[in-house]
Amino acid sequence: MTGQTATAVDPLQTTGRASRVRAPDVREPVLDLAGITKSFGALTALSEAALEVHAGEVLCLLGENGAGKSTLCNLIYGVFRPTGGEMRLGGAAYAPADPKAALEAGVGMVHQHFSVVPSMTVVDNLLLGRSRGILHRRLFAEEIRARAAEFGLEVDPWRVVKDMSVGERQRLEIVKCLMRRPRLLLLDEPTAVLPPEEIGSFLDVCRRIADGGGALILVTHKLAEVAKIADRTAILRAGRIVDTVPMASADMKAIVQAMIGRELGGATVAVGLDLAEHAEAAETDELPASAEASGKIPAATKSRPPDVLQIDALTYRDRNGAVRLDEITVEVRPGKILGIAGVEGNGQSELGLILAGLERPSAGRWFVGDREMTRASPAEITAAGVGIVPEDRHAVGAVVEMSVAENLCLQNLAQYTRFGLVRRGAMTAAAKDLIARYDVRGAGPETRFASLSGGNQQKVVLARELTLDPLVLLVAAQPTRGLDVGAVETVYGHIRSACGRGAGVLLISSELDELIAVSDRIAVIYRGRIVGEMPATQKNREAIGALMSGHAA
Amino acid sequence: MSGAASSAPASGLRIPAPGVVIPLAAIAASFVVGFALMALTGSNIGAAIGAFAQGAFGSAYAIGTSLNRAVALGLVGLGFILAERANLINVGGEGQIAMGGIFSTAVALYGGVKGLPYGLAVLLPLLAGTLAGAAWGALAGVMKIRFGTNEVISTLLLNFIAILLVYWSVQSVHLLRQPASFAGTLPQSLQVPPSTTLPLLTGNPADPLHIGAAVAVVLAIVTALVLRRSAFGLRLKAIGLSPTASHRAGIRTDALMVSVLALSGAFGGLAGAMMLLGDQGYLTAGFSSGYGFDGLVVGLLARGSAAGVAAVAIFFGFLRSGGISMQISAHVPAALVTIVQGMIVVAIAGSAILIERMGRRA
Repeated sequence: MTGQTATAVDPLQTTGRASRVRAPDVREPVLDLAGITKSFGALTALSEAALEVHAGEVLCLLGENGAGKSTLCNLIYGVFRPTGGEMRLGGAAYAPADPKAALEAGVGMVHQHFSVVPSMTVVDNLLLGRSRGILHRRLFAEEIRARAAEFGLEVDPWRVVKDMSVGERQRLEIVKCLMRRPRLLLLDEPTAVLPPEEIGSFLDVCRRIADGGGALILVTHKLAEVAKIADRTAILRAGRIVDTVPMASADMKAIVQAMIGRELGGATVAVGLDLAEHAEAAETDELPASAEASGKIPAATKSRPPDVLQIDALTYRDRNGAVRLDEITVEVRPGKILGIAGVEGNGQSELGLILAGLERPSAGRWFVGDREMTRASPAEITAAGVGIVPEDRHAVGAVVEMSVAENLCLQNLAQYTRFGLVRRGAMTAAAKDLIARYDVRGAGPETRFASLSGGNQQKVVLARELTLDPLVLLVAAQPTRGLDVGAVETVYGHIRSACGRGAGVLLISSELDELIAVSDRIAVIYRGRIVGEMPATQKNREAIGALMSGHAA
Repeated sequence: MSGAASSAPASGLRIPAPGVVIPLAAIAASFVVGFALMALTGSNIGAAIGAFAQGAFGSAYAIGTSLNRAVALGLVGLGFILAERANLINVGGEGQIAMGGIFSTAVALYGGVKGLPYGLAVLLPLLAGTLAGAAWGALAGVMKIRFGTNEVISTLLLNFIAILLVYWSVQSVHLLRQPASFAGTLPQSLQVPPSTTLPLLTGNPADPLHIGAAVAVVLAIVTALVLRRSAFGLRLKAIGLSPTASHRAGIRTDALMVSVLALSGAFGGLAGAMMLLGDQGYLTAGFSSGYGFDGLVVGLLARGSAAGVAAVAIFFGFLRSGGISMQISAHVPAALVTIVQGMIVVAIAGSAILIERMGRRA
C-alpha cells in the first residue's frame, strides 16, 4: 500500500482543489530521494529514505518526535549532508553544501522559529543578504507586494516586524522564501505557532503555492491539517519512511498506527486526531457521568475539602500599563481538572507566569489550600506542592544545555548534596529511576536536555514536577504544544494519574478538543477576563468556541 | 602492565599532541616576530634575550619574583572563571586589586595590628583587603540586579574609581599619606610594619617567593572543586545558562549573582593585599600596574579551568618579569614588550580556536 504503486497518470495537470485526487504524474519529480541515510556517530537518524515530490503537490511529513522529520528537511536544505544515498532535484544530482547552495538551487525552507529581525521593517528584512551597494527600497517594496499578491497574501512592506502578529510574521517568512521563486518549499511545523483561526488561511496559502506549480513538503503533527491539505503523506517512524499514502484513499486511523507503531487508547485518539466527532463517543452529556466514565474523579467525597487553588480577582498590568489579566477569579477542586480555554495571547501566558512565581500580580490574590501565594517566590511555590509545567519549555522549564539528571534534580539539589558537594551517584540513580518511570526515550542521565525530542523533553519536565511530594496542584500551560499523538497521550496520562492521586490541575491550552477530552470544567479566557465557565462536554463545545472568539454566550 | 593501562598513555599522547604543539609553536613564533621587531627598532637582540632570560628565571630571586607575580595574576584569574561560570564577566580585577591594596595597607598600619599574635598581624590586613575587593565586586552585582547595569560596564568603571581612590589615599595626609618628614615627602604610604608582611616560603631573603604561592595553589584546588563538584558550582552553571529556568527551579538567582561577583572581587582584593604585603610594602599611586587586566586575560585564556589559570598565570608571571628586565637592562622600549605580550595572547587564543576546528573536523 505504498504511494509509489499509485502511479496513475493524469495528463491534464489540473490545478485547484481538483488536484487533490490527482496521483503523482510521470514527469520527472522535483525532488527525488533514494536510499538517504544520515548517521550522527552511532545514532542513525534516518535510514534508507526514499521519497519523491512532484510539482504542484503538497506532501506532508508525519511522524512522532524524533522520527527523523527535521533531519530529512535539514538534509534537503543542506544543513546536514547525507551519510549515504542520492538526492536529485529537477532531474540533476543535488548535493547542497549548505543552505545557501540549497537556496540557489531553488529550495526554500520556513523554520519553526522565525528568522526575521523584529526591529526592522518588512522591506529591510527581505533586503538582508541580497542588497548590493545602494538599496532600492521603494522598488523592492513593490516587488514584495506583487509577489505576495500572486499567492493571495497581503503584506505591508513598510511595517515593522515586531508590530506584526505571529501569523503575519509567518506569512512574511513564506514571502521571504517565495521572493526567490523556489521550486521546492520546506515548511517545518509551520502551524505549531499559529492561533487556530489563522491555520485555515495558512493552509489556503500552501494550496495556492502548490497550484502555482510549486512543490511543498509540510512537516506537521496535526492530523486534521494533513487531512485538509495533503496530496500525499509520508509517514516516518524511527528514522524510516514506513509508508507513503495518497490522501484520496487514506484511512486516518491506519496512518496513526503506522506513525506510532501501536494502537492508541480511546478518547486520546480523538485528542491527537484533533477531530471532534471521535471525542464525542467518549463523552456523555452530564459532567458527573462523563467524569466517572473516564475515571477522572476518585470516589466522590461527601464533605467538601478546601479548593487546592483559589484565584481571587487577580489583575495584571504589563510594563506598559496594559491590562493583561482583569480580575480573574477561578478555583480548582482537588482531584479535578479545570481547563482554561482561549485563543493564545488572551492572558494565558501571564496567568502561567504569575502562578509560577515569575511575575507578581498588580492586584488580587491567589491561594494554594489555605496559604496565600500572591507574592511567593518560585521556591516557595514549589515547596507548597505546586508543580509547574511552563508554556516555554526551553526558557523556563529547563536549562537546556544541562544534562537530564541535572535538570531533574535542580529543584531539590540540597537533597543530592553533602558537605556542599553534589552526590553525582545519587543524582544519576534518581534520574535513571525517573527516566524509566516516565518513559523518557533516547536519554540517559547524562544526555543533554536540548538533544531530546520535544515530547521527551516534556516528559522530563513532567517527571520533575509530578514527583513533588506532596503534589497539591499542577499548573500545566500548553503542555502538548509541538508534541505528537503518542506523546500527547502520555502527557495526559500522567496528568490524569496525578489527578487520581488527589491533586488539582489547572490546564491552560489553546487546543479546545484536548481540553474538552481531558478537563472536568472549562473556563474561557478572553482579553484577560474569564468570560464563562461550564462543564467540559462536547455539547458545550460550540458555546465555548463562541466565548473564545469574544461572542457572549 | 595490562593492555588497557598501556593503551591509555598512548592515546593520551596522541590526542593532546596538537593541543600542545600548536600553542607552543604559536608562542615561539610570536617571540620570533617580537625579537625581529626589536632588531628593526635598533635594539641588540642578544642583549634583549639575555635580559629576558635573566629577569624571568636567571636566578632564584628572579624565579621567586616571577612566581609572586603569577600568584597575583592567578588569583584574579580564578576570580574571573568563578564569575564566568555564571555567565558574568568581571573585568574589575584592577579596581579590586586597588581596593585590596588600600584596605590591607590601612589595617596593617593601624595602631596595634602589628603587635597581634598567632599570625593575626598578617591575617587581618589580608582579610581586610579581601573584603574590600569583595565589596567592590558585590557593588557591581547589586547594580546588576537592581538597575540591570551590565557587569562588564560597572566593573570596568569601578576600576577607575578604585584607582583614583588609591591616588587620593596616598595624596591626603588624613588618609594614608606618610607624614611629611625628612625621610619621605613622596605621595605614598608608610612602609607596612615587618610583622604584617607575608612570610617567605623558604625563609631565605634571597628567595622572595612568599606564602601567597601556597595559598594560591590551595585556592586553585578549591576553585576547581567548587566548579566541578559543588552544588554552588552547579547552581552557578544553571544561572549562567538560563537565569529564568533557574529562578523557576527555586534558585535565588539575584543573591547568587551578587555572591559570585563578591567572591570574584574577593580574589582580586586578596591579590591586591598580597601584592602589597608580600612585595611592594607600601601603597603608592598606580601600584596595581595592570595586574588586574593581565589577570583578566589569564582568566579568559584559561577557558573556565582552574588548572588553565595556574598554567597561564605562571607563564605570564615569567613573561612580565622578563619584559621588565628587557626594559631595564636592554633598554627595549616598554611598548615593544607590550606588543610581544599582546601577540602571545593572540597566539594562545588563536591556537585554541585552531585546535577546536581540527577537533571538529576529525
